[in-house]
Amino acid sequence: MASSEKKSRRRSAKAPAEPPPFDPQPVEPPSIAVAELSAGAAADEMPSIPVPDPEDELAAFASDGELSALFVSDGLEHLGTIEAAILKFEAAPADLSLLNDIFRPFHTVKGNAGVLGISSVQEVAHRVEALLDLARSGARPFGPREIELVLQSVDLLTLMIKQLPARVAGEPTVNVADRVRALGLALDTLMAEPLQAVAAAMAAQAYEQASARQEPAPEAADPFQRTEESQSTVRVDTRKLDSLVDMVGELVIAQTILAEDPVLLRSIDERLSRRLSQVRRITSELQRSAMSMRMVAIRQTFQKMARLVRDQSKRTGKPIALVLAGEDTELDRKLVEHITDPLMHMVRNAVDHGVEPAAVRLAAGKPTEATLRLSASHQAGTIVIEIGDDGGGLDTDAILAKAQAQGLAADDAVLSPAEIHQFIFQPGFSTAQQVTELSGRGVGMDVVRRNIEALRGRIDIQTTPGQGTTFSIRLPLTLAIVDGILLSVGTERFVIPTFAVRESLQPRSDQVHTVQGRGCMVQVRDQLIPVLHVGEAFGIRGARERPTDGTVVVAEDNGRPVALVVDELLGKQEVVIKGLGETFEGVRGVAGGAILGDGRIGLILDVGGLLSLAA
Amino acid sequence: MEAAAARPLAELAGKYLTFALGDEEYGLPVLKVREIIKLMDITQVPQVPSHIRGVINLRGKVIPVIDLRLKFGFEVGENTERTCIIVVEVDMNGSNVMMGIVVDSVWEVLNVSAAEIDETPAFGDQVSTDFVLGLAKVKGTVKILLDLDRVLGGDGRFSKGLL
Repeated sequence: MASSEKKSRRRSAKAPAEPPPFDPQPVEPPSIAVAELSAGAAADEMPSIPVPDPEDELAAFASDGELSALFVSDGLEHLGTIEAAILKFEAAPADLSLLNDIFRPFHTVKGNAGVLGISSVQEVAHRVEALLDLARSGARPFGPREIELVLQSVDLLTLMIKQLPARVAGEPTVNVADRVRALGLALDTLMAEPLQAVAAAMAAQAYEQASARQEPAPEAADPFQRTEESQSTVRVDTRKLDSLVDMVGELVIAQTILAEDPVLLRSIDERLSRRLSQVRRITSELQRSAMSMRMVAIRQTFQKMARLVRDQSKRTGKPIALVLAGEDTELDRKLVEHITDPLMHMVRNAVDHGVEPAAVRLAAGKPTEATLRLSASHQAGTIVIEIGDDGGGLDTDAILAKAQAQGLAADDAVLSPAEIHQFIFQPGFSTAQQVTELSGRGVGMDVVRRNIEALRGRIDIQTTPGQGTTFSIRLPLTLAIVDGILLSVGTERFVIPTFAVRESLQPRSDQVHTVQGRGCMVQVRDQLIPVLHVGEAFGIRGARERPTDGTVVVAEDNGRPVALVVDELLGKQEVVIKGLGETFEGVRGVAGGAILGDGRIGLILDVGGLLSLAA
Repeated sequence: MEAAAARPLAELAGKYLTFALGDEEYGLPVLKVREIIKLMDITQVPQVPSHIRGVINLRGKVIPVIDLRLKFGFEVGENTERTCIIVVEVDMNGSNVMMGIVVDSVWEVLNVSAAEIDETPAFGDQVSTDFVLGLAKVKGTVKILLDLDRVLGGDGRFSKGLL
């Protein structure tokens, strides 16, 4: 009772309207919370985790925006670390040191929540921590039920922490009281288990561990090793970072303008030009490091998939091994944000539709455990993310039948398998026989494709009947520096990424062929390449009309070539890709804008989009 | 009827930046205005309606530029010394987006009181008044007060609907 009186006194002291200065001392020392907990549990049968009191635990959180934002981002990161460590422990239960990796972040979350007085979060974390502490010291086994409970508590805490800002703002939130209560009860039940059962379980686990110890996992392959190294980082508001990048971009432009100043160009003072080139070197180095700050490894996204695969595998009863590759591949932070949902959807699909039930796999002579591969890599200026399963592959006949039934394809249409597979990207298309809990709710691959195309990316399918399906997502390195070739068309200038350019030429008239007086082709060595007149396609006045008058740039996208007719090549330049914003989202053939040497914007050509214009 | 209209009109009182399009005078809430810059080279973007002139570089940011003269169907004459771009912040589905609007000339910042504001009369089908907040009669001239979010909001994502 004493403690609750103390608590209410604190509350009334904090009642005045002006925000209380942030108190670095814990609002409620953990020891009091513990005493409260055990006393409450002993006194009556009430669940031992108090249900969050909606109002008074948010006072400190609401009073310091910066600190509370830090708490949320920090907390979510810790929960991510915990999740990764649990999954790792599940795969290697012999490694008890992993329990420390689970315990420590829980402790930090609890401590931080205590500092801010968010008692609901603090107490959930505390209860789980108690369980972990027992397991860590070897007093309790840590088996599948414990793992399940800890994962549940991670989900619950993630939700609670995520909706803290909404609660402060008075926005509607999910009521977690029931879930908190349920988790408390489950923990109580588990902790109250007779020691005999615990001992038996421990013996079983010890045996398991002993047998597992014989094949220790190689240290080098540890996918979560880097969590230890992440201490030497600083959190920076992304807006500050964006403005730094913008300003550095301006600096580069100012430097270029200065370097090209006629007065300086005429100067023969060697000392001056040496100093200028020194400035140039520093500027471009500065630009490079500013850009790299926006890049993050895809690791965290992949970790989310690991949890998803585990849960799906349990729920469907299909044993699945997830193989990750290229988790260190860096991509723009914004891309990571936008790629997570489509990826989760595709992983769910792969488990639900891609992988066959174990019995079917056995009958087909495949190992019962399916393999799901998730990989990321850089390829020629794009980021490639692949999701591959070794399941049954796409059922081409079923897709065609469904497409015909839905009127997407004519009944007598003759289509190649690749064309038929494209139907899965149609809205409302699903070949799943029944709607399951996991997928098949009608939100389908069409949404995935739309999301990816909104990032100016592309998705491709490779599938082999009986052997599996791989989806490849290709994303541009938006906001990254791209090596480009500057070219002019009429009054406008464009940048084409160097990686998309095969060659450029000034065609002789005998190389240019027209088909039926309209479709124009250029013959380059033995290949006939369709011509796209950029000026015409973009409605630019004053562009040179005939391919023989201008320059032809042979560009390619995904192996398909196109000959772009432009006026002149102006030179090579490294440019910063900037999105054009929502206004121009649907524009095809343009990947973004680049700020050119004179401060004007040149549009960056997107060869894939140009090809679709030419078709 | 007077009473019903009084409240929203009273809320419209405040400071407006006035500018000219052709022979007409317009005003937009000064809080929406970020800065006024002289007309610069605009990079045109394909596949968009002609009143979307293209993009400019505003100190490292790429922002779209809308020609209000074309949007409202004015004849666009020669650009003069006074032609300029007003950089505004528009609310687009909850997020603030910077845009430039080309106008013939910028006049002044005007304090408009509630008494000076009239409701927009209906002009029938000939004239769309959706994005007019009201009409202000100040110093003997009528100024058309624009609801900028409505004027430009549509240009934020028109292209999504097209493709």
